[in-house]
Amino acid sequence: MPEIDPTEHDIAELGPKIKDIDDEQELEEMLAMEKGGEGRAPVITLIEDRLEKVGGEDEDADPSEADLTDMTIADIANMIRDVEDIEVLRDILEREKEGKDRKGAKSQLEKKINNLEEDDEDREEVEYVPPEEKHPDLKHPTADKLYVEGTVDGEYRDMWVYCETQQGELLDVSREMLGKTRELMDGYNDDYDEDEDVIAVLIGDGVDDLTEECLAYGADRVVYHDDEQLTRFQHAPYTEIFCHMCRDWEADWRDYHEPRYTVFPATNNGRDLSALVQGELDSGLASDCSGLYIESADISNPAKTGRPGETKTFEKILHMKRPDFSGFEYSTILCIDKPHRDFHPQGASVIPGSFEIPEAEPEPEGEVVEHDLDLPEEWFQTTVTEYDQLDEGVDLTGHDVIVAMGRGIDRVDPTKGIELGLELTDQFEDAGFGLSRGVITASYEFGGHVEQYITEERQIGESGQVVEPELYIAAGISGAVQHKVGMDESDTIVAINTDPEADIRDFSDYFIEGDLFEVLPRLTEALAEGKLGAAIAEASDD
Amino acid sequence: MTEHEHYEAVVVGAGPGGAAAAATLAQHGVETLVLERGADAGSKNVSGGLIYAEESAPYTIDQLFPGFREGAAERPVDEYYIHNIAGEKVETFDLHDIHHHDTEWCDAVLRRKMDSWLAERVHEMTRETGGGLLTGVRANGLLREGGKIVGVTFDELDPITADVIIAADGVNSELARDAGLMDWEEPEDWFQGVKAVVDMPPEAINERFDVADDEGVAHLFSGDLFEGVRGGGFLYTNEDSLSIGTVFHLDSLSVERAEPHELLDSLLTHPLLAQWFQGEYHEREYAAKLVPDSKKVAHPSPHRGRLLLVGDAAGQMQAQGPIIKGMNHAVTAGGLAAEAFAEAKSRGNEEAAGTLYQQKLESEGVMDQLRPTRYRATRFLSESDAVNSIGSSLLDSAVGTAGIKLFDGLLEKSFNSPFVLGMIPDTKLSYVTVPTRIAEVLGDPVYDENDVEPPALDDRIGDLTYDVDDPHIEVLDNSFEASGTAVTACPVSAKDFGGGCYREETVETNGHEEKKVSLDTQPCVECGTCAVVADTHWEHPSGGKGVEFKQG
Repeated sequence: MPEIDPTEHDIAELGPKIKDIDDEQELEEMLAMEKGGEGRAPVITLIEDRLEKVGGEDEDADPSEADLTDMTIADIANMIRDVEDIEVLRDILEREKEGKDRKGAKSQLEKKINNLEEDDEDREEVEYVPPEEKHPDLKHPTADKLYVEGTVDGEYRDMWVYCETQQGELLDVSREMLGKTRELMDGYNDDYDEDEDVIAVLIGDGVDDLTEECLAYGADRVVYHDDEQLTRFQHAPYTEIFCHMCRDWEADWRDYHEPRYTVFPATNNGRDLSALVQGELDSGLASDCSGLYIESADISNPAKTGRPGETKTFEKILHMKRPDFSGFEYSTILCIDKPHRDFHPQGASVIPGSFEIPEAEPEPEGEVVEHDLDLPEEWFQTTVTEYDQLDEGVDLTGHDVIVAMGRGIDRVDPTKGIELGLELTDQFEDAGFGLSRGVITASYEFGGHVEQYITEERQIGESGQVVEPELYIAAGISGAVQHKVGMDESDTIVAINTDPEADIRDFSDYFIEGDLFEVLPRLTEALAEGKLGAAIAEASDD
Repeated sequence: MTEHEHYEAVVVGAGPGGAAAAATLAQHGVETLVLERGADAGSKNVSGGLIYAEESAPYTIDQLFPGFREGAAERPVDEYYIHNIAGEKVETFDLHDIHHHDTEWCDAVLRRKMDSWLAERVHEMTRETGGGLLTGVRANGLLREGGKIVGVTFDELDPITADVIIAADGVNSELARDAGLMDWEEPEDWFQGVKAVVDMPPEAINERFDVADDEGVAHLFSGDLFEGVRGGGFLYTNEDSLSIGTVFHLDSLSVERAEPHELLDSLLTHPLLAQWFQGEYHEREYAAKLVPDSKKVAHPSPHRGRLLLVGDAAGQMQAQGPIIKGMNHAVTAGGLAAEAFAEAKSRGNEEAAGTLYQQKLESEGVMDQLRPTRYRATRFLSESDAVNSIGSSLLDSAVGTAGIKLFDGLLEKSFNSPFVLGMIPDTKLSYVTVPTRIAEVLGDPVYDENDVEPPALDDRIGDLTYDVDDPHIEVLDNSFEASGTAVTACPVSAKDFGGGCYREETVETNGHEEKKVSLDTQPCVECGTCAVVADTHWEHPSGGKGVEFKQG
């Protein structure tokens, strides 16, 4: 008798229990009991599944004798997985043909036989049919591209970096990319005993002033195109110029087909340009990357190797790491040539801030090349008629003095409090105006003229900016720990508060017990007369 | 139709309810994905600190997770007392009988340790089914297709569909609200608990509470030490700390405009506690949470389509007089919900899971514990004002006093009856007046001096760990009338305190002054109080953001 009588149990209970039964005999008995009882279909399936699992574990059919008619296609596939003898397989195939003659079973067997045969003989290359012939019904825009011929076994060299500029200056991300690519190419030249360069590309108006800086941050050579028509980023001319630089066979400094690698910033403009350029150069793009490295890659995809079942090592592959699912996962993208078509340059766009800005070389060496090309009018069919500049944001770090206001401003009138703070700020040569979080999140209604100052970007503290000025003046701020972490590294802290018990007193150098509405005007006045120290001393004594 | 990632079961929330559901699902071989919004399981979870295993319960936490008591719990709690307090007079009753009624065991717990211990096991168990447990992911709503609930949406991930969604996402369950099953409307449906975890070396606990290494004790406090606010206090012994807190009816707290942290301080500084502190007080953590009053809000039909609610999310928190039981019911509900789905699936009718779950809650007697019929029967009468004032004057009279004296033994007995406790009305009479009178008449004075100084509110906030994100709560109406109660009721706000969440401000507009309320969510402990007492749009912070409790 089995330990469990299935007819006495719910289906839900049986599930977990039956998992522990390994005795085939017992399961058979249970099955008989259920069939003799209610005969619940799910229970029967449950027991049968278990039987199959238990039975399957210790019973390996001999492939040369197995009765195929009893076996499912999956059973056959499992059985032949380890069979290496082609004769045995052929025998099974024959028997299947004579027996049930299932298409699925036959294809499994044929595939296995083919694989083994290929291993025996020399692997044959897959016959190449150009895509235009293979799929005549599809459009083939690639074929119409200007430079599409010659994209097999081309000559590729160098790492090209698009250095984006804004208002006549390099973006930080451009410096970051130069530093990173310098490091990559130094390693590359060592590893492969090559002498390839980092090429900085500058396009714009007035960019000739920036060539030296590109060299300083790591470029071996700067190619620039300076034209007053290029003041603002535009798709057509920027793309055309970049691509022309990449394939400029007339330039005497280069003798290769296209760049080996290209790197763009993943900024708004950089993203646009990267997609357009890589498309025009008929290659791929890994966008928004946060990591880059160069090494070889073992690939067994027949689309890349050309021979099924073969693993081929591709050298000098740029590995482009990018965050997926909001950074929960990372993918590494590789851009690899196919047997009948090259995919170069291997291109990436890079998230700003992913890499460190390197130290600038004080006396950089390198070549500077002016790109020579007439810009046809049709590239400028779009004109920028208007543009606006976004607020840069408020950076409170780096000031000598910070004047910060807290909720003490509501003692009299918040608007007046802000005014007093601003007046005091104006007395210093280099002062920033900050606020505690309490003011920013308050419901005070400020007068229109000071409202512009009540923004989150002026917040000092844990969830705002962290400042370390020489002098920090905190008016009406109690000094909660969230505020403290944003300012307690300041050299000298002067606090003004009506409450002598306020926490800020513990980490202030000078504590003025008083109402900021009285104290601030006196400080402002003293500064105007050049007597701040005296005023603080005097106020502290009050 | 968009193709979404699909699991057989998605469990939202890795507290005891979610853990029990996930473990049971995994045992039935159901592919289960568990999502937890805390950076670590338990980092968002707070409870008073006692977990019960009831003899009659179909699921208990140590059955589902062997080794739970050794690995995740603090001390077993064997002794249970209630102190009736009037000024410095105290009358103590032994609640041994009610505490042990149907109790297999009862342990004090700290939730960060407990829930992260559970989460590790849940991850192992669910991973074998093809799922697993992900932390730092906040479910923000339900995914519907053709009006039907088919999955869950998240801040951090693409929507995921499932055959069953078990919402064990706690007292402020956004899924339960999205489904229209729960609301945040009536303060009288809720309790608010605040708690301090206080350092105490194990040897000191053993000595001062007269217990051995593996023994613990629970004390409850009621009477006149809480400014007339309806509720009481508790103290539980952990391994090397004490959990001391207060639980009040949110409606009473609101009306009295009481400050929860001050009420907690009244307990902490009461002379009765001097014997245990002996002048030393170091607070590890201040925390707060809402507690649903299951008598009023336990949902009788906690499911809609594929969504099943479990634990606090379904209001399954039983206040048995002074004893609050929640986690055990969440475990049972989680187990039953999982079992219901497994059964429905084996019948080939997954849609029936909700109905089956409801049947199981009823047939296992959970519903009757959560919503006793006798409470419903006596509530109208005993909570009416007329009856209360008669009751109060009666108690104050000579006859009442004689009655208390005469029935001393009987009173202690009735405190120990689950039947009587199930009828206790939610009025000042039973929470404040009776205990106070008991103490006045029967109590002995305490002469100890308790000079401990609990930290001020700004230090309590400063000691908590936050990862501040964009504001997750928006005040819809910032007039004082609509939202002013939050200034006092919020456990991290106070009148005339600028460093809290809610602040009262006087704003001058067009020459006339107006009282307004402003909100800074930085110090928020995510208890949900303001969702009930103020006019807000209330959401949880995104995964891993906001407050992180180290004790819980």
